Amino acid sequence: MTPERHLRASLVLVAVFMASGLWLEAMVGLRAEGWLDDPLRREFLRLGHAHGGLLGLLNLALAWALERLATPPSWAGKIRLAAWTGALLVGAGFMLGGMLHGPTDPGLPILVVPAGAMILLASLAATALVRPSDGPPGPES
Amino acid sequence: MPLRPGLLLFGPALAWVVAAGLGLAWTAGDSRAWTAIDRHGVAVVGSSTCSECHPDAWQSWHASWHRTMTQRPVPGGGLSVELAVAPEPGELLAPFAGETFDYLGFRATMDRGASGAPRIRVKSDSGVGETLLDVEVALTVGSHRYQQYVGEIDGVLWRLPVAWHRGEARWIHMNGAFVEPEGESGSLVDYQRHLSRWNDNCIFCHNTEPVPGLQDSGQFQSAVGELGIACEACHGPAAAHVERHRNPLRRMLAGRDLGDGSITHPGRLDAGRESAICGRCHGQRIARDIATVMAHGDGFVAGDDLAEVSRPIFADSTIGTEPMPFAMRFWPDGTPRLSAYEYQALLLSPCHDSGAGLGCNHCHDMHGDQPKGQIRAGRSGAGACIDCHDLDSDHGGHRGVESVDCLDCHMPEITYGLLEGMVSHRITSPDPGALVGRHDQPDACTQCHVDRSRRWAAESMAGLGLLGSPAGLPEDPLEQRGSRVLLDLHGGDPIQRNLAAHALAQPDASGSLELRMAWLADALEDEYPSVRWFAWRGLRALAEAASQAELVRTLAEFDYLAPIEARVEVIGRIHLQLGTPVNPNQLFDDLSEARAETAIWIGE
Repeated sequence: MTPERHLRASLVLVAVFMASGLWLEAMVGLRAEGWLDDPLRREFLRLGHAHGGLLGLLNLALAWALERLATPPSWAGKIRLAAWTGALLVGAGFMLGGMLHGPTDPGLPILVVPAGAMILLASLAATALVRPSDGPPGPES
Repeated sequence: MPLRPGLLLFGPALAWVVAAGLGLAWTAGDSRAWTAIDRHGVAVVGSSTCSECHPDAWQSWHASWHRTMTQRPVPGGGLSVELAVAPEPGELLAPFAGETFDYLGFRATMDRGASGAPRIRVKSDSGVGETLLDVEVALTVGSHRYQQYVGEIDGVLWRLPVAWHRGEARWIHMNGAFVEPEGESGSLVDYQRHLSRWNDNCIFCHNTEPVPGLQDSGQFQSAVGELGIACEACHGPAAAHVERHRNPLRRMLAGRDLGDGSITHPGRLDAGRESAICGRCHGQRIARDIATVMAHGDGFVAGDDLAEVSRPIFADSTIGTEPMPFAMRFWPDGTPRLSAYEYQALLLSPCHDSGAGLGCNHCHDMHGDQPKGQIRAGRSGAGACIDCHDLDSDHGGHRGVESVDCLDCHMPEITYGLLEGMVSHRITSPDPGALVGRHDQPDACTQCHVDRSRRWAAESMAGLGLLGSPAGLPEDPLEQRGSRVLLDLHGGDPIQRNLAAHALAQPDASGSLELRMAWLADALEDEYPSVRWFAWRGLRALAEAASQAELVRTLAEFDYLAPIEARVEVIGRIHLQLGTPVNPNQLFDDLSEARAETAIWIGE
């Protein structure tokens, strides 16, 4: 993933999950059934909204950090893809898990949240640990 | 070996996804996670365990009267009953601050013992004689209408003779809550008529997983899963359910309709089985094997066939050699006329259709937001019927009359229980013509048209385009002499009199307030306390509606459980204020004399 594409995709991620906040607010205002009367769904939609938005912002910070730290392109491209995918999985996993929940627990999509979190953590660790000398110079993938 | 960025970044997540997928597949295919489990004889885990995963359901149950069916006012040791689940502190409705209550020449004093535990003491000779009872309250029973108190005497629990009436915030004697003659002043037998044993009576329908524990020696070793009607009374023992659902993958798959044989979900049972869960308590029954039930409980687990452990009591049910001992609890057509027979009434209803039609769950919701009656949202009034019946036509001829809905005609208030008039749960169509000339059963029409005769009701049916027995009606001289409800009020048996007084007090009943108040004032003289209660409460409601402040004040001095001399004095003043004679008319005299033949005695 190129730096430019990462920046644009991260801004889209922030925009989408921030916009979902408008949707949640509208459901409160409209007293929507299946929302106000469903605490489990409400909790997980809120978690998705908050995590997706914040992790989108984290991606913007990561994009800046990768430039500042001169992470080798062979790593940087994959870190960008991983960080963005991780943020998407966490935010969407919470939301879909809440929308498709069972009697007491979120639905199966919640299982992608740990996967997304692992990818994100790995991205952050790699950004922190990989040095400019750790990879051969070359075009970013 | 060079580091591979893709593997490091995505590898752990991919491993997690593979592991989770395998776990899901294994759990979904593991029969131990889904198959039915025999839960008979399994101990309950308690409602607090259920609350961990089902907080909303727990909250709605916690707000219900089911929870407070039995409470322990002072938790701790000293109770002879074995409890599988430690109770939370119960709510005591009565003050127990030294109140006294005199009845039949005995004085009950309600205060607290040295330990602070609530206590009830009874002395003879209006409180100056010997102490007949001095016992701490071990358990409370009920809390919606009135709260009864249970004390332990020599290792056995007994329901004590006085109770706290919630609506009136006063003490009452239990004789006043049952439909039976008052008893003689000074008679200890009459005073202690309802000093009944908890271990083999109240335990059943007021607790979860009750076991009376009657021993061969005649002693009791009673045990209760959880005090009150808690989660597992309707869902069955939940230990296996809890164990299975420790697996989070199992919980996630729970909503995918793979079945769950570790718990009963009443809403997923057919109407027959679902209603049987309620019928276990809301339908008086006779055990198939009484000795086993008294020793070990009935063994019923929610979802079982109730008929395997008991048979519901109907009018023609027998026990022992006594012929039809329960007939008094039913109207002549077999409709139950007491509460706690709702299950039988449902079974008799065509809408139930032998379990293929509607069940309790159709109108009631144990986890709704309405504790009173626990009516399902949208299922009150006409809402109860519109799923199956088209109400577009001008059915019943009462369209436009806001106060009339389906239930008024098809589930009239012809059931007595707990000092209240209640709807009949036998869903029927009114047919006053079939009852003309009979004086043993109320009809839906005249329960609202209280100033009208049954003949008028029968003749009006055709005018409204309704089917009913033809008006080729036998002449009955008594029928000519007054409204149907008035005939019941003066000449019916005590349950008819209770319900007649209840009908007269309804805000939307026909007839002038003055007329209804005069009739109710006559009923204040009734020899049955429950009739006097209905008459007094109804008269008070009508006096308030008529803004007769002085009469309301006088009525406040009337105590339906007071000695007759005290009552007569107040009744005289009430009649004076109403401008009615104390001895009303020949009809009253004629019917009152015949009333001795209608004496009934319905206790436990």
